[in-house]
Amino acid sequence: MRYVFFVLCALLIGPLHAAELRQPLPSTYAIVDVRIVPAPGEVLESATIVVRDGIIEAVGSDIEPPPDAALVTFERGSENDEDQPPITVYAGLIDPYLAVASDENSDGGGNDNGNGDDEDGGSVPGRHPLIRPDRRLDPAAWPADTVEAHRRAGFTTALMAPAVGLLRGNSVLANLGDGGMSANLLAENVAQHAHLDERSPDGNYPQSLMGSVALFRQSLLDAAWQQSARNAWQANPAQSRPEWLAGMDVLAPVLAGEQPLVVKSEDALDSLRILDLVDGEIDLVLVGHGEEYKRLDDFDRKVPHILPLDFPAAPDVEAENDGHDNRDASLEELRHWKYAPENPARLVEAGFPVLLTAHGQSNPEDLFGQVAKAVEHGLDADAALAALTTGPAEWLGIADRAGRIAAGYMANLVIVDGELFGEETTINEVWVDGHRFELTRLVPPEVDPAGTWDLTLGLAGMGDVDATLKLSGEPANMDGILVVMGNETPLSEARVSGKRLQVRIDAARFGEAGTITINMDIDGDRGRGNGSGPFGEFTVRGTRSSGPGDEETRI
Amino acid sequence: MNRLANNVSILLASLLTSAALAEYTPGVEAWNVESAPPQQTLVVRDATVWTAAEDGILEQADLLVRDGEIRAVGVDLDAPGNALEIDGAGMHVTPGIIDAHSHAAIIGGVNEATDISTAQVRIQDVIDSESINIYRQLAGGVTAINLLHGSANAIGGQMAVIKMRWGASPEELIFDAAAPGIKFALGENPKQSNWSNDDPRYPQSRPGVAQVIEEKFEQAVDYQRKLEEMPQGRRGRDAVPPRPDLEMDAIVEILEGVRKIHSHAYRADEMVMLINIAESFGVTIGTFQHVLEGYKLARRMAEHGAGGSGFIDWWNFKHEASDAIPYNPALMAMGGVTVGLHSDNPELARRMNLEAAKAVRYGGVDEHDALIMITANPARQLGVGDRTGRLERGLDADFVIWNGHPLSVYTRVEQTWVDGRRYFDREADRAQREALEAERRELIAMVLEADQDEGAPDDDSEEETPGWLIGYRASELAHDEFCHAQDFGHVHAIDFRSGE
Repeated sequence: MRYVFFVLCALLIGPLHAAELRQPLPSTYAIVDVRIVPAPGEVLESATIVVRDGIIEAVGSDIEPPPDAALVTFERGSENDEDQPPITVYAGLIDPYLAVASDENSDGGGNDNGNGDDEDGGSVPGRHPLIRPDRRLDPAAWPADTVEAHRRAGFTTALMAPAVGLLRGNSVLANLGDGGMSANLLAENVAQHAHLDERSPDGNYPQSLMGSVALFRQSLLDAAWQQSARNAWQANPAQSRPEWLAGMDVLAPVLAGEQPLVVKSEDALDSLRILDLVDGEIDLVLVGHGEEYKRLDDFDRKVPHILPLDFPAAPDVEAENDGHDNRDASLEELRHWKYAPENPARLVEAGFPVLLTAHGQSNPEDLFGQVAKAVEHGLDADAALAALTTGPAEWLGIADRAGRIAAGYMANLVIVDGELFGEETTINEVWVDGHRFELTRLVPPEVDPAGTWDLTLGLAGMGDVDATLKLSGEPANMDGILVVMGNETPLSEARVSGKRLQVRIDAARFGEAGTITINMDIDGDRGRGNGSGPFGEFTVRGTRSSGPGDEETRI
Repeated sequence: MNRLANNVSILLASLLTSAALAEYTPGVEAWNVESAPPQQTLVVRDATVWTAAEDGILEQADLLVRDGEIRAVGVDLDAPGNALEIDGAGMHVTPGIIDAHSHAAIIGGVNEATDISTAQVRIQDVIDSESINIYRQLAGGVTAINLLHGSANAIGGQMAVIKMRWGASPEELIFDAAAPGIKFALGENPKQSNWSNDDPRYPQSRPGVAQVIEEKFEQAVDYQRKLEEMPQGRRGRDAVPPRPDLEMDAIVEILEGVRKIHSHAYRADEMVMLINIAESFGVTIGTFQHVLEGYKLARRMAEHGAGGSGFIDWWNFKHEASDAIPYNPALMAMGGVTVGLHSDNPELARRMNLEAAKAVRYGGVDEHDALIMITANPARQLGVGDRTGRLERGLDADFVIWNGHPLSVYTRVEQTWVDGRRYFDREADRAQREALEAERRELIAMVLEADQDEGAPDDDSEEETPGWLIGYRASELAHDEFCHAQDFGHVHAIDFRSGE
């Protein structure tokens, strides 16, 4: 795939040396006349943010945009009237728990092929397939789709955690920009992740909860033993060498309380179980479930909680109106419906440090409506914002560079209409490391661009390059590939807004940094527009050579 | 314990019930119980008191309780002025029932069925404090139960004895005075006779089960020796320690006599086998569970010191359970065995008094002695005989007030007390039902109101509880891999009794 990128670059740049002809996109911006929430509880009206080379250079109400800055303005700006809330800029959100599905994970082993095959590690003699503390996210398995979906919801940074097994492995902290792990990694080995309620995939031990708890307990004992046994043998080699247990050495900082152990809890009793099981000296953090309120008084220590907010939908009680007792709506269910939205406020009130996560939402954007609900039920709105910005930044050790809008911080921003928390939050733009992702409200599609397009891409001062764009699906849900010299690259995104087609390719998909975008206004079977890539800007002209019904466009 | 302070149910309960009853309001959900009922100073007057002790049955007697303990049992007792007086005329008072074989409040599977020995797993880790079975069994007069691992393997998991402190957390439920114990199993279950199993596990025969147990004991002896040989002090600092092994730790405790064996067994021959193995390691077995053929070897059991904890009229559900008679408890008792009756089933557990009554009918056991089979004797078997199971000065105030003769089918429980706290009260329960219904209606009204604001409710219906098991929470069933994986669903009613 990497080859495709070079071909594309080479074609676009022509015979001359790349460095001489590069027309880099502007790297200095001034976002002017907007309402800014630089940190929870603080607001700047009609203010400006200057971004240079991915870093915030200045923030304030009386800032003059530098002469070299590209101005970013909004029609409405910070004006607030009845119908149109002000454009508001928040610090990019930080998700302290982004579970990365198993097929996007890989083993920590050396002969790693990047496809995350757990069986390899499991087959090491004495090694249990559920005990993989040395697993880490493979750079080659960067979860581009997950990153994309999260960024779309305003998240610019996330702790990416392995999602399978009992002792699951280490998480990485990364920004959610394009360009893969190499462009986005902030820190490795941030925390160890665990989950008790697991069954062995091979049908072997354990196949019960009490079995998985016992295996967890044995594994922590093994890790501690390995340290003392190896130390003793190092000090005195004239004795039988202790058996070496693969993968257990990475647990040393967890046992020493130097690295957090993040355990995903299933319910109130699971939380009590984890608190009972994990020694007080370990830096325990729980990923919650929403029913902490049921047994909060029984928690023996105030461990930090990363809370998902998937409040239950109202139980179906319609049959009540027919005069029949509807047994489906049990008292238990009704109670949980009533009390669940109070859960975050109760944890805060009881003195538990609380961070929020989009984990558990089928769509990460749904989080904002749930946060609004939690605020309605007693959660302080500033505390809620802090739980998605400054709070996780502090926990993750990046409070000096992320979580607020301040000079010297990473230019991670989310720009919304009005307030961030609400049922129908409109996110206009998300900025990651000063890279701008425009998510302007889509207007309903007025054209159907499905089919095969012959494109001519023109870079100023150079010849044209031919490419083929194949699009399939409904205008609201398009998929496709870009073909250059017979090499196919899948599109990261293809959307239709009005008469405009917007296509994006994350260069990480073939191992390079940056983004290629193409915008084309469509008129029948003809299109005209422009595009940009790491190599510069270009013009686009296109003709549809075959319609959606034709055989060759089926992908 | 400031839970849901503005709970509608509490409010309504106080309106609907008398002042005395309002002191205790049960909740339909354990977590929602506002706080533990208060420990009371009380005296029950003029009742028929079954002591389950040497005093036997006392007519027109009083029971005095203070600070969670029984202070006195006798006639015309003096009671402190602040004591709650309960008129026991026409009532019978017995010790709380103790069920030495239950799986009623376990989450995530009662069997770790994978390996032939899983001594490292602990029921203590998976106690379901929210199980409604706890409350329902209180309504049947049960005050303590022994939560046992299943019988899928020769050496199962470590058991947990809990008191029925409805509303308490799992940790608070644990009866800390109980002797540590572990489940063993012999016969068809550990040798996988009735499993639909493509991948059979060693052993597949009764001698194989014996061999495995013996071998595990030998391994534990070796393990213990290595631990003891580890040099102490400065000399030990640079010595490689033995790798810890939770399975072996538990078996070492068995060999040291600290952890008692409670072994699922039907046939006399294999009970003799286990006694022989145990004696060769200097170990005394705690109890045989189910023990259908106990009548054949009562004297041998008594000589060894093993108790018998059994069914009275349940057999023939599989081949090894065929040679049984209802006179078994009576005959074992005659042979000198400490005999108890157990439920092995959360539904049967609510009427254990009738199991005792059957021992009177079959074998002519004295009524008081029959009651001892569900109170004092199971308490002894669980190592808590000096704490509960009898109505005697100094014991925990765990008792039941019945509205008539406790061995009668017409009798029901009026009140059940644990640690001097009233955890079940029939009148409070009835009043509470109305309060719960009122709470439910109020919540439904809230939902309908919210619907008008927010549009139609979400229509996805929740998971259905399997219909073939009554009395278990969905969470208790969800992970019972033993039953599901082994395709036991079709014989589940029997399977309870066969000793899961």
